[in-house]
Amino acid sequence: MNKTKKLVASISTLLTRRTSHPSSTLRCNPLATFRIKPQTHLNPVKPLALLRFSGRAFCSGSCDKISSSTCWNCGFSSDKSAFLFCDSCRSIQPVDDSVDYFQIFGLEKKYELDAGSVEGKYKDWQKKLHPDLVHNKSQKERDYAAEQSAKVTEACRTLTKRLSRAMYIMKVNGKNINEEETVTDPTLLMEMMELREAIAEADDSKELNKIQSQVQEKLKQWSDSFAKAFESQRFDEAVKCIRRMTFYEKACEEIVKKL
Amino acid sequence: MMLRQAAKKALGLTSRQSTPWSVGISRSYHENVIDHYDNPRNVGSFDKNDPSIGTGLVGAPACGDVMKLQIKVDEKTGQIVDARFKTFGCGSAIASSSVATEWVKGKAMEEVLTIKNTEIAKHLSLPPVKLHCSMLAEDAIKAAVKDYKEKRLKTNGAAAAAGQTAQA
Repeated sequence: MNKTKKLVASISTLLTRRTSHPSSTLRCNPLATFRIKPQTHLNPVKPLALLRFSGRAFCSGSCDKISSSTCWNCGFSSDKSAFLFCDSCRSIQPVDDSVDYFQIFGLEKKYELDAGSVEGKYKDWQKKLHPDLVHNKSQKERDYAAEQSAKVTEACRTLTKRLSRAMYIMKVNGKNINEEETVTDPTLLMEMMELREAIAEADDSKELNKIQSQVQEKLKQWSDSFAKAFESQRFDEAVKCIRRMTFYEKACEEIVKKL
Repeated sequence: MMLRQAAKKALGLTSRQSTPWSVGISRSYHENVIDHYDNPRNVGSFDKNDPSIGTGLVGAPACGDVMKLQIKVDEKTGQIVDARFKTFGCGSAIASSSVATEWVKGKAMEEVLTIKNTEIAKHLSLPPVKLHCSMLAEDAIKAAVKDYKEKRLKTNGAAAAAGQTAQA
């Protein structure tokens, strides 16, 4: 009983600090504020219900609205997710899992991408997250900065490579690719076998480079096919394209190893 | 440990292979994999068109590995007399298919269909992230048997048709 009273006390101080915003939803961060009215400490079921609600708000991709955020430091809340800094007090925010990689780089959620623009924005982000710029901030903010930096790096890596971008955009649209099922398509596998054999038998770098350019050509072809299939929502075909690209990418890796 | 040794002997593994493994428990977990990787057994190919050969060709969607496993079947007894493999992939995939070719030799086709990926994985002490390699090997065995059976059906069907035409 005492514990709940303490919880209610600290919550009410937080509640008085923040500007009440009817549409703001809860976020999963260490100082998440629970919208509990003082009398509900008598009813222990309520907090669970709220937690369940907040769980739903974290679904990424399939949710139509972006979850709004509340700053842990100043309590400022806004309609759009604060990605890195609070708009009001400029304190670094913890990683919000509902922010997808496209949002980080301010890009539309489509497959076609200019890799150069991603690189540029990546460098800008890292300027903000660099340790030297945050060392005078609190430990908590430095930890948040490290997490954000990791997410930005991961986002950059995922989006700049065709295959990982294709797989990510499928995931973000709720289309999971089954990676467990063994591939048995004989035509595809025969082609891959022959390709891998050719790579294994190639003696000089000239031959390897020739094979590599052929494979790159195929990758481009299948990447374009993926884009078309994805745009027209032919997701089964899109998965087939991703499969092909996976095998070609592996072949490329082998070539690079040999070169 | 004892049961394992007996099982290995029953599977007809050569003494060269069973000796290092039957000794200490202090061996590093991936020694078997290294062994198969450095000294792969049964690498090669049979003639795909030979009627006594079944070819299993499988691929891993996650990593882009390709595995080919071929069995040579004695038509009279239905026993697998020889096997070959060709795998493009990581050490675990190569080792898994190498083990598979060893395990199918001297067995009946129905028996090899019961070989489970978990047995291969255990034999090689595969870490969880490489379990799919052993699954690929299990699928390759099944695909090879299936291919042989389908070929037999076709040849039997063709022979029956030829017999009928000859009679007519």
